[in-house]
Amino acid sequence: MQEAAVRSLLIATTAAVASTAVATLAALGTARQGRFRGRTAIYALINQPLMVPEIVTAVSLLIVFGVIRSSTGYQGLGYLMLAHSAFCIPFAYLPIRARLENMDRTLELAAADLYATPVQAFRRITLPLLMPGIIAGAMLAFVISLDDVVITEFVKSAGQDTLATYMLGQFRRTLTPEVNAISAVLLAITLALLTAFFLITRKRA
Amino acid sequence: MTKLLLTTALAALATGAAAQDRQLQLYNWGDYTSPEMIEKFEAETGIDVTITDYDSNDTALAKISAGGHGFDLVVPSAHMVPVYVEQGLIQELDLSKLPNHANIAPEWVDVDWDPGRRYTIPWQWGSTAVAVNTSAYSGDINTSDVIFHPPAELEGKINVVPEMSDVMALAILNQGGELCTEDLDVLKRVRDMLMDAKPHWLSMDYDSEAKLSANDIMAALTWNGPTMRARLNNPPVQYGYPKEGYPLWMDSVALLSDAQNVDEAYEFLNFIMAPENAALISNFARYANGITGSEEFMDPEMRDAPEIVIPEEFKANGHFLPTCPPSANDLYTRIWTELQS
Repeated sequence: MQEAAVRSLLIATTAAVASTAVATLAALGTARQGRFRGRTAIYALINQPLMVPEIVTAVSLLIVFGVIRSSTGYQGLGYLMLAHSAFCIPFAYLPIRARLENMDRTLELAAADLYATPVQAFRRITLPLLMPGIIAGAMLAFVISLDDVVITEFVKSAGQDTLATYMLGQFRRTLTPEVNAISAVLLAITLALLTAFFLITRKRA
Repeated sequence: MTKLLLTTALAALATGAAAQDRQLQLYNWGDYTSPEMIEKFEAETGIDVTITDYDSNDTALAKISAGGHGFDLVVPSAHMVPVYVEQGLIQELDLSKLPNHANIAPEWVDVDWDPGRRYTIPWQWGSTAVAVNTSAYSGDINTSDVIFHPPAELEGKINVVPEMSDVMALAILNQGGELCTEDLDVLKRVRDMLMDAKPHWLSMDYDSEAKLSANDIMAALTWNGPTMRARLNNPPVQYGYPKEGYPLWMDSVALLSDAQNVDEAYEFLNFIMAPENAALISNFARYANGITGSEEFMDPEMRDAPEIVIPEEFKANGHFLPTCPPSANDLYTRIWTELQS
């Protein structure tokens, strides 16, 4: 059970970092470059995990990873980390993009006017202003990863139960105080992060 | 914490490459494997056992048929075994490596799903029937009518396990049908009976044991293991074997065709057929195991528990669930969906 808890945190942390990094780049690409061909298609692709039923994603990943496993023999946590990072992207993307769209573009223009290179303008102006969105996105991704059951159940390799799938396995017998305790802790973490998410996104909005 | 996470991360990512000592990967139902038995096996053999949980036969089959799963042993239910065999997912056992194979109780050797036990080793078996708190209802409890046509004393105090195959089997047997029937007249009666009965039930969930123990419910359609545990907490709870018929089930261990640790798997299979080890499995999950002589190593309260040892007069009413054809399952799913909505 302790191992499952550590594994859950590890996967959630990786997924939060990876998906937020991708989501930030995606948000910059889609919200800052004006309209371009294929933008709608990119939106659809980024938000695909929100639209496709989870079980479909799970079974597809199971098949793809099954082939990779058979040909490489690799059984590590990488599959779960990759899967979680992928389906967390839209959750991280939405707050970041919302933040970007509300951001005053003239600040960046002013920076450019004062001879800041694009990189300097990004590091000194855009990124700090974007930070609340990025942190909010990362927290949301962390919570989503921590709670996931369906995809994890199908993607996990031997010996890779997370807290959520461990709890699922306990359900056919009577609910133990242990499961109640895990649920309470997970709920507390989720609530704490969501509260922080709410406060961060509300600030200066 | 960060350091712990990092070391675990490195260890986890390296799992694929690291050449471990002897190990065994068991893929089993959640909360079903006795930790005491595993510790004993590890101590005796030096083999490191990893257990991974699944929550349904369907999940297990999907993962295993996708390939590359890394498991050595799986524990399918009886009606799933022919599917595994047909798809070539499990391998025929070399019985010469399993001297304890002779310990399988005679009635569990030539089973329909695996004649001669050439593919699977018994893990645990049990029944799905009715549990009644006899302080609330003193009538005959050896009938599924207590659930499907509940007497006034049990009105609104019934919990039904949300397992389609078990509930449908009991309901079909109650209406005099055959298991896996596609007879629409029978199924019409089954549907009407279930829909009429449902308003008299309190709930449909897995938690009959706690609810029976706490007198939150007075009757349940449930498995024998939870009923026995409830009776130990609350003596008036009794297990009834419906005279109309009731389903039996058995989960058996099978060796996967693409197992990586075959020798270790044989050692494990032989180990769990030793009576004292089979008893450890039963003591944990509270089901019988099908190994001769294991009774004497079981906890005393299990040895002659009426939930575990089926009384002679009720034995003939128990039926193993066959593998129903998809057309029958489609009909059952329609009834089940209507019942659940």
